Amino acid sequence: MRITEETPYRFRVEREGGMRVPGIVFASRRLLPDPAADESLHQVANVATLPGIVVASYAMPDMHWGYGFPIGGVAATDLDEAGVVSPGGVGFDISCGVRLLAADLDRDAFEPRLGAVMDALDHSVPRGMKRGSVWRMSDAAKLRDVLEGGACHAVETGHGVKRDLLRCEDGGRMADADPGGISPRAVERGLGQVGSLGSGNHFLEVQAVEEVYDARAAQVFGLRPRQVCVMIHTGSRGLGHQVCSDQVRVMEKAMRRHGISVPDRQLACVPVESEEGHAYLGAMAAATNFARVNRQLLGEAARRAFDSGAGCGLDLVYDVSHNLAMVETHEVDGRRRRLCVHRKGATRAWPPGHPDLPAELADVGQPTLIPGTMGTASYVLTGVRGGQAFHSTCHGAGRVMSRHEAVRRVRGRALRDDLEAHGVAVRGTSWKGLAEEAPSAYKDVTDVVDASVGAGLCRKVARLVPLGVVKG
Amino acid sequence: MPRTDAGHRATAHTADLRVEAWAPTREECVAHAVAAVVESVVGADPPPATTTVERDLAGETDADLLAAAIDEVVYLLETRGLLPSATEVRATPTGLRARFAMVDADALEPVGAIPKAVSLHRLRCERGPEGWWCTVTVDV
Repeated sequence: MRITEETPYRFRVEREGGMRVPGIVFASRRLLPDPAADESLHQVANVATLPGIVVASYAMPDMHWGYGFPIGGVAATDLDEAGVVSPGGVGFDISCGVRLLAADLDRDAFEPRLGAVMDALDHSVPRGMKRGSVWRMSDAAKLRDVLEGGACHAVETGHGVKRDLLRCEDGGRMADADPGGISPRAVERGLGQVGSLGSGNHFLEVQAVEEVYDARAAQVFGLRPRQVCVMIHTGSRGLGHQVCSDQVRVMEKAMRRHGISVPDRQLACVPVESEEGHAYLGAMAAATNFARVNRQLLGEAARRAFDSGAGCGLDLVYDVSHNLAMVETHEVDGRRRRLCVHRKGATRAWPPGHPDLPAELADVGQPTLIPGTMGTASYVLTGVRGGQAFHSTCHGAGRVMSRHEAVRRVRGRALRDDLEAHGVAVRGTSWKGLAEEAPSAYKDVTDVVDASVGAGLCRKVARLVPLGVVKG
Repeated sequence: MPRTDAGHRATAHTADLRVEAWAPTREECVAHAVAAVVESVVGADPPPATTTVERDLAGETDADLLAAAIDEVVYLLETRGLLPSATEVRATPTGLRARFAMVDADALEPVGAIPKAVSLHRLRCERGPEGWWCTVTVDV
């Protein structure tokens, strides 16, 4: 593999073998993965072999080893050139994403109430291995409404306020969802999980705005210095995972008929404009609507905890997905083209003036939410004119250490004590689970964000620091 | 020389759970892979089983049968709150049949991240000169 440094934040993986386009990795030298320990650079090259891919196989500064696609991968295929859609380019956790809510309360006034709010969240946020959800679905018909209506259905049935929908991608509902394309097994897994956090790297954090870099954008987003916020990171839970598993199996068989071969089974794909391609996008949209309802319901649980524990409400800042394939129109080689843009661990970042932005955000761009690690910071970014990689940027800090190694090096109880000593309240479910998510297992989120800004992918709006962590 | 030992272990993966297992037979090898996944969630000594669940596993290849076994564990955990404390696997004319001796997962303290799906990335289950060996990456 030949890698050329084009700029301090842009590296080119030269075409070789079956690669149809080069790879472009946005990273600093320090953030580039070590090929001996992490296979993500090879995965960038593998993605470059997909039929119909245009411009480049991209990777963001938080890239790391995934399956099929690297985490942090972005790839667009041209629908009119038999371009493919690959469930591996979306990931198992369809529409995994981040929701940020802001309280009308500053951290100084909030700190005496932190314990009460954390206890209320600890009690009301279902998570970890135990079953349970905020919204119990009694039958598949009710779940079907969730899959079709997304956050719009949640708000219509009393789980939120209308303004929430203005602050969700696609107004909270992804069109063309096909609940009929969801298998009974996926439905069964989803029934008991509407409004549940899950485990692994998913979390709910109480945060405070530590620094504002762009006062005007922050004001439009609804953020100010020292303000208390809530960040929720979760996705479509077992339902989304089952949709991905089911569809990869279908595509593996269909690929033979379409004359497609791929270097990794998890890259299974079919033309977007095919029966199987449409079926996947319909099921993916349904799972995306599930994820948006999931975050909407957890947001409602947080609102109740803040109401009871701190006597204040929470306004939605924004809700983004960082695992998704979207049909979007972009200019490539001087021509407007319909592209299927896969973002696997990457966040869309529309620039100011983009027609898909709601009017109140049009002047400043899309809020782009980047969760960091428990002990460090999270960022709010926004898109920039001339943005790269089909207007995409990073999605988090990005792992560098395996869970196995993290548990070997870090003791969960000591980590909790250390976080609490630094003023961060922790409500976890297991010590080992906590250790697996130790900040030292991740890249430095500030390095990742600085590289993203340096590469021209986005600009900074605000930095948030944790006050309390609820872990799955 | 054919192997007489059998076992399993977790191996390194940046973000998720990767396990490998080895055994004299395919069926024991798959059962050990299941044990490796369960061990990552609740440790090596789960309590005695309270119920059993039997499932037919289908797949075109041995690797797909391995994936089907882990898929079943994920499904039973999420929908019934059960984890296998012991697993027996036998061959059938159409694939495999697994007998899971199950414990109530809600009563257990997890010691690691919860499995959610089986990746096909580098999924392998194959017979070598020494016996059977398999490896699987599980999304957590």
